[in-house]
Amino acid sequence: MTQKLLEMAGIGKDRLHLAWVSSAEAQRFVDVATNTINTVKQQGKLDSKAAAMRLEAAEMTVSSETIRWLVGKEVKITAKGDVYGRKWDVDKYESILYMELEREYQKNLIFLAIKEGCKSVRDVSDKTELELLRISYLLADLEKTNRVEFTGMENSKPVFAVI
Amino acid sequence: MADFEPKIVAFLCNWCAYAGADLAGVSRLQYPSNLRTVRVMCSGRVDPVFIVKAFKQGCDGVLVSG
Repeated sequence: MTQKLLEMAGIGKDRLHLAWVSSAEAQRFVDVATNTINTVKQQGKLDSKAAAMRLEAAEMTVSSETIRWLVGKEVKITAKGDVYGRKWDVDKYESILYMELEREYQKNLIFLAIKEGCKSVRDVSDKTELELLRISYLLADLEKTNRVEFTGMENSKPVFAVI
Repeated sequence: MADFEPKIVAFLCNWCAYAGADLAGVSRLQYPSNLRTVRVMCSGRVDPVFIVKAFKQGCDGVLVSG
């Protein structure tokens, strides 16, 4: 899940590694460490200043209530069923989790772009590289949850501000 | 980028990988020194927020090992 998110945020999933090493496997630990270092080396240096806004959005996403609930309930709803007694198969669960992850991430990105002074949908699009239509769609959501407000028209373009 | 030395934060489980790393040291196996180790009591303790925070503070890679 976190790898998917890092991919979305343009950090790249190859920067995050997960490995199981038992306490008796010193050689395996050395292999894992060397392997990780080499892969990250290939990726080059991470420009954390350039990625600051994307990382901030990623952090907001993994801290968000929806995502944390969804991840926490995985075993329950795929093994026992949800509150309506429906059992979800793992593929369906994952596709919904990733959809929600993308949506939360993009919403946070838009929120941050507006916070940093982008006013119109086009400004936000230039900053976040998201499509105009997608931004308008998610803006409606951000307005509904009182994170962003419509402040009026400027040169016949609607402008927004964070609350 | 041949001589680029990445900074990698490693979250190691106290009982598994940390002990493994310790043993690697005791048995004098050589491995690169780019890892900055954070010992956790279980790799299940590692939250995605920690990982994103590590990247925010300027590391180039994260290894979670248990």
